Amino acid sequence: MPDEEVALQEKTTEKKTKRRPRGEVRLFGKWCKGCGLCIAFCPQGVFEANGEGRPVVAHPEKCTACDWCVVHCPDFAIQVRRLDDQEGKG
Amino acid sequence: MHTELREKHEIYDYLRHSKKFPVMWCAGCGIGIVLGAIIRAIDRMGLDRDRVAMVSGIGCTGRMPVYVDFNTMHTTHGRALAFATGLKLARPDMYVLVVMGDGDALAIGGNHFIHAARRNMDLTAIVVNNNIYGMTGGQYSPTTPLHMRATTAPYGNIEPPFPLCELAKAAGASFVARSTVYHATELDRLIEQAIARRGFSVVEAVSYCHTTYGRLNRLGAAVDMMRWLKENSVTLAQAEKMSPEERETKIVRGILLDREGPGYVDLYDEIIRQAKAAENG
Repeated sequence: MPDEEVALQEKTTEKKTKRRPRGEVRLFGKWCKGCGLCIAFCPQGVFEANGEGRPVVAHPEKCTACDWCVVHCPDFAIQVRRLDDQEGKG
Repeated sequence: MHTELREKHEIYDYLRHSKKFPVMWCAGCGIGIVLGAIIRAIDRMGLDRDRVAMVSGIGCTGRMPVYVDFNTMHTTHGRALAFATGLKLARPDMYVLVVMGDGDALAIGGNHFIHAARRNMDLTAIVVNNNIYGMTGGQYSPTTPLHMRATTAPYGNIEPPFPLCELAKAAGASFVARSTVYHATELDRLIEQAIARRGFSVVEAVSYCHTTYGRLNRLGAAVDMMRWLKENSVTLAQAEKMSPEERETKIVRGILLDREGPGYVDLYDEIIRQAKAAENG
């Protein structure tokens, strides 16, 4: 295998094993009006709509704590806690 | 629930938990996002909240100060800048933020707006531009684009809109910037710089009103209008590469004007100093 390819392969494996930040999403149902911004725009697709069109945290494991939903929720109804490395495992 | 919220996140520290939540704006309205951006900017600057005053007029945006734990003043329609001018001159140590909608700032308060800019009054004006009067039922405003529909323009608006930022620049403001509610973190950085700048600072926060403007013009729900903002706004650098015709159709984001120099309060202090010296001398 040429050196360049080896280097490339090493780079990609490194990328795969490198841990992304993780977050824990919490929704406050009393403040949420179900506008659907978080469902539509979450880059990781963490939210899904329930029967009433309101968001539920359907894929909590996908959250990378980017805070898009926290910053864009017009009703301050979402919180994301950034998990430290130990908590993020498993 | 409120205590639980407060412990977790700084934004809840700044909300008045004695008020009725959720906020009164329609589901998906961008005004809440602008409020969040203002709170983040103030929190990051570490300002003492007793030295921050938020002044508003009437309209959807006029409700904003209700929810925050600063010194707040909810004034008459269009006169927020006039009240804020009085406040700033009486208490020059205060950081005075004026939040207005497009109708409040440019129609009813249009005269106050240009004169606050001309005087270079040390205020931070944050104008939430949703292109319509939302609260009163969707009448066209001075920023409703040409040919778009409103309840008072059922065949389309024939009045050209005011370019808010150009107006502020020409009238003498020190700092003029624009961003959208999609670019909320950019918005809070711009608000931070606007608060820090001496003289009259204007931040245009481009938002949307899906309830009236969106419905009348068939632009979809909040999600669709938010996506439109994402796809139709460009940074200053991107705009420079565009032809003038193409640029016309885009929302240009960034700092459009930033000039250093004394604000009104600096010049006023200087006059006081000179007058005192003359009296004593």
